[in-house]
Amino acid sequence: MATFPALKTSAVAQYPARKYVRFQNQTLRFVDGTEQRFRDAGSPLHRWDIALSELDEGEMAALEEFFTANQGAFGNFSFTDPWDGHVYTNCSMQTDTMALAALGEMRGSTSLTVVENRG
Amino acid sequence: MLVYPQLGTGALSQFPVRKNHHMRTVVNTALDGSSVKLADPNGEVTEWQLSYSDLSDGEIGALEQFFAAAEGTLNGFTFPDPTANLLAWSGKLDENAWTPGPLLTVSGGIGDPTGGTQAWRLTNTGAGAQSITQTLPAPAGYLYCLSAYVRTAQAITATMLIGSGRADRAVAGQWKRVVFTASGDPQGSSIGFGLEVPPAASLDVYGLQAEPQSAASVYKATTRGGVYENARLSADALTITTTGVNRHSCTVNIIHANHL
Repeated sequence: MATFPALKTSAVAQYPARKYVRFQNQTLRFVDGTEQRFRDAGSPLHRWDIALSELDEGEMAALEEFFTANQGAFGNFSFTDPWDGHVYTNCSMQTDTMALAALGEMRGSTSLTVVENRG
Repeated sequence: MLVYPQLGTGALSQFPVRKNHHMRTVVNTALDGSSVKLADPNGEVTEWQLSYSDLSDGEIGALEQFFAAAEGTLNGFTFPDPTANLLAWSGKLDENAWTPGPLLTVSGGIGDPTGGTQAWRLTNTGAGAQSITQTLPAPAGYLYCLSAYVRTAQAITATMLIGSGRADRAVAGQWKRVVFTASGDPQGSSIGFGLEVPPAASLDVYGLQAEPQSAASVYKATTRGGVYENARLSADALTITTTGVNRHSCTVNIIHANHL
């Protein structure tokens, strides 16, 4: 199983980093106003927005290689949550597009969104 | 084949360079959040936006000439990615992209200068010099910079190769980066890069990199390599702004798609 690449500092994210947790529930509302709720899925799914800047060319290339090796959103990999160190073994990129900008020497930037998959 | 022009400095672009990489995945998501995915490798598209400023009359003239030859979006050309290591499989010297000499043994798993084990040992068991080379379908007349981290148990002289150009570099016990900048035959449509090991010697190698510029940048490990054949301009128009005498600026958008 591939692992999301770390930067030279061994970090996988920089500030500001955003993390989302999403449950999936259904609610049925009856004519008397009462509701019945039930789970569509057995557990929440996580998502991480990773915006990176001041990267050197090697870090940029490693991230692009990882994106290419995964064929965008297709491939699965394990991702270590930078908040608590928990390893999520079934994750992928959210989109098929990666934008990279080299603003100067050792001043690269990019952003990626990692999503946890179910099944 | 038409090729994208280098600037007078030997660089292919200026900062900022923007690059977008698009893949195509068909995703069928179920109500519980699970999904079935289907990859489409032929849907891969890469785009570059190259912004130029303070170009000389000669440099902007070369860009205009290239734009006219390409006839806007009509004709394809060879584009060496200015942000990439042009060599394919730079970290796996036993891949088919590399051609080792018949008496050169290539073995991996050697400790590298970054603390890993991604370096390779080239052992020449022959009585003559042996080389490992990779030939790229890139314009030979470009200025290229070949670089590699090398070390050896006994002091030797290794030779760096760019086309027919050769440069000897002394190698000793500590890792050091050796660099060679040269261009090949101006009319050639392919060019080889490599390292030559003297007879009965071995050489540890890490981070082989070829770039279309005059100096080496940070090592970038590759699988695909950075030469894009049949790239195209994204637009039929080229807008040039002249900001002073011998000072011009413009932006060029380039696209490469597997399915085009």
